[in-house]
Amino acid sequence: MRIKTARWLVQIAFLLLFLFLFIQTESKGDDTLGYPVRLFLDFDPLILLSTLLSSRGLVPGFLLSLSAVVATVFLGRVFCGWICPLGTIHNIAEIAAGRRKPVLPPGARKWKYWILFFLLSSSLFTMQVTGILDPLCLLVRSLALSVHPAFQNGFAALFQTAGDWPVPVLSALAEGLHDLFRKLLFSFREPRFFQAVFTGLLFGIIVGLNFVEKRFWCRYLCPLGALLGLLSRKALLKRSVSEGCTDCGVCGRVCQGRATGEDAREWASSECLACFECDDLCPSGSVRFGFSREKGGGSFLPGRRSVLASLLAGAAAVPFFRIFPGSRAGVFSGKLIRPPGALDEGDFLARCVRCGECMKVCITNGLQPAFLEGGLEALWTPVLVPSVGYCEYRCTLCGQVCPTGAIKPLSPGEKESVRIGTAFIDFGRCLPHAFGIPCLVCQEVCPTAMKAVWFEKGNVTDREGGVRTVKKPYVDPARCVGCGTCEHNCPVRGEPAIRVVSTGESRSKENRLLL
Amino acid sequence: MDRRDFLKKTLCAAAAASCPGTLLSLAEGWAVPPVPDLAVVRGPSPEAITRAAVDALGGIRRFVSTGDVVVVKPNIGWDRTPEYGANTHPAVVAALVTLCFEAGAGKVKVFDRPVNDPRRCYRQSGIADAAEAAGADVHYVDERKFKTVKLDGLALKDWPLYEEILEADRVINVPVAKTHGLSTLTLGMKNWMGVMGGGRWLIHQRVHESIVDVARRVKPVLTVLDAVRILTANGPQGGRLEDVKVLDTVVAGTDPVAVDSFGATLFGIRGRDLESVRIGHETGLGNMNLDTLNIRRIER
Repeated sequence: MRIKTARWLVQIAFLLLFLFLFIQTESKGDDTLGYPVRLFLDFDPLILLSTLLSSRGLVPGFLLSLSAVVATVFLGRVFCGWICPLGTIHNIAEIAAGRRKPVLPPGARKWKYWILFFLLSSSLFTMQVTGILDPLCLLVRSLALSVHPAFQNGFAALFQTAGDWPVPVLSALAEGLHDLFRKLLFSFREPRFFQAVFTGLLFGIIVGLNFVEKRFWCRYLCPLGALLGLLSRKALLKRSVSEGCTDCGVCGRVCQGRATGEDAREWASSECLACFECDDLCPSGSVRFGFSREKGGGSFLPGRRSVLASLLAGAAAVPFFRIFPGSRAGVFSGKLIRPPGALDEGDFLARCVRCGECMKVCITNGLQPAFLEGGLEALWTPVLVPSVGYCEYRCTLCGQVCPTGAIKPLSPGEKESVRIGTAFIDFGRCLPHAFGIPCLVCQEVCPTAMKAVWFEKGNVTDREGGVRTVKKPYVDPARCVGCGTCEHNCPVRGEPAIRVVSTGESRSKENRLLL
Repeated sequence: MDRRDFLKKTLCAAAAASCPGTLLSLAEGWAVPPVPDLAVVRGPSPEAITRAAVDALGGIRRFVSTGDVVVVKPNIGWDRTPEYGANTHPAVVAALVTLCFEAGAGKVKVFDRPVNDPRRCYRQSGIADAAEAAGADVHYVDERKFKTVKLDGLALKDWPLYEEILEADRVINVPVAKTHGLSTLTLGMKNWMGVMGGGRWLIHQRVHESIVDVARRVKPVLTVLDAVRILTANGPQGGRLEDVKVLDTVVAGTDPVAVDSFGATLFGIRGRDLESVRIGHETGLGNMNLDTLNIRRIER
């Protein structure tokens, strides 16, 4: 078996594992998921490093990420070439695109280092925006918020249309396929996200760049690739070219990471994805990979000045992002309702990598990616939008899947005492208060053991002078946890008559409501 | 009409009038004991009391025939575990499923349209596991299967109802007894909210009439009211064990108004105090006057 075949098998296996875990990031009604769904994120050393810098704390999966660091130090960027699911998607896209010669100058490989240094420098100054470009965060987020919802929406519509046709075989087939997809591939409810288009667009561009050059992202942009590249500068796995080399240039053309160019003997270990294509395809059999402690294999690094510039840019970006009224206080917008267990806004932002796991797992689809509600720094971080979905009282999944501890894992008992906001009744819209019409849905669905929504009987006079008694709801702010079940179910649609804002959230001192 | 004729007719009429229906049926069926209108069974095992209640009403074969597609409709509305009494007790549901199969049912379907997330409600209530173990087809409500049905009721002209409940050969209602902020109690008739589609919260504006309107359309052959653990406050969702009262009881009958009327007494109020019961009685859906009913109480 050629190494290439083995590599493809490994790559596909990891991609399938990744997708399987992605699909399993969904409740089946139990308190836990039963699978380590964030496994790939746990292995990501870039998340470890940037969170370490920004929050001065460890991430839950730090031992796994350290193992990835150790593997890279010895073997080079095997993660990029063999494991990374986004890398495999690039390989597939690259086949679809057809082989392309490099169009960018070799110096463009520096870009990814600049990106890396920018991100790490921002992290050092407590701003964590690494997740926007970290490949694993980007992939999970793009799939969760955009690709998978579009996939489900599209196929459900297709099956529905086909099922409605008056052709007996076709409609039965469509119905059968729909059931199969629902069981294996679809989410329980069709997911919808506000930022779906934008997150999907970024993903589409990154994959589409394979039409410019194969593995464009990995060669020029990926900050994780850059970090692993730095770690693999002295890797023991090295490439050697023997005397028989005829300078045919095949290795340069097939190279995935652009580690080698026109001169076959040139090789940058930091750019090599350890795919072994050159070893496989060398017509004279002169290219070899082997372990050696000898020096060799030049590394590729951007110049000192440009590194310094990107570090400075990263540091300067921090105040730029933060000159925003109410930034980080969490009190600027009442709509910034964070998931239960979320740390205080500053600490939360220092950890959240926008991977989208919490939004994928949210049982009601209520967790949505923020746009500018919390400033640019908080782009695509999770906020609860009760009109889309409320926080299910006994569900604790978002904290379980968070890879950085931005959302603390809570036990169901702990969660009962966490307040994410407070509900306020709009007396001008509430049916009993405003119109004397019976309702009380908010009180019925209120999940706290002693209901936070209570009612009193009151008389209302109609325009003819008739007097009726209705039950009027009120919120007890000491009992309300801000889950938004009331807002979600309020029969007054458009703008519900009871609405939750982040006021009173227990994670924040500034946002306190009660003395 | 001569005098003898007159006397004969008067006596006959008087005898007939003084004879409750059950006695007449006794006369028809010789050795068969009278079938009560309501069976109220108490005992420590939810399965045993459910079975005893159905047996007291004449046995499951009275309600289910060979090959029937039966819907057993519990309350699975909330993400609560059984001890909180917010959903129908899983053992009561499972016992009914088992009984249906004993009568030769072809298929027994169990479903509800919950308020909380369906996956959590089905699992945490224990109903999905218990009913599946008993052989039932437990599935989530498919939003495409609601069909608008003409009701011409007091409050509702029409409403989308779940197709499978309308198409079933037999429907058995298995509600749980608990308090409710707006309608005071939720018992049997209100359980049909779980087969209503669309924006069903709107019915709260005229909840009592709406409940009866739907109950007139979905006519169960049998209602088994689960009062094993009743929720006496903070209903219908509960969440405090202090609010749960253990009665170890089920109330079964064919008359939905009678069952609800008796259910009210478990909470210390009269059936007529519940508007839906009163409206159900007045519009001829059933009989709320417990003193005219034959109620058999059984201890197990």
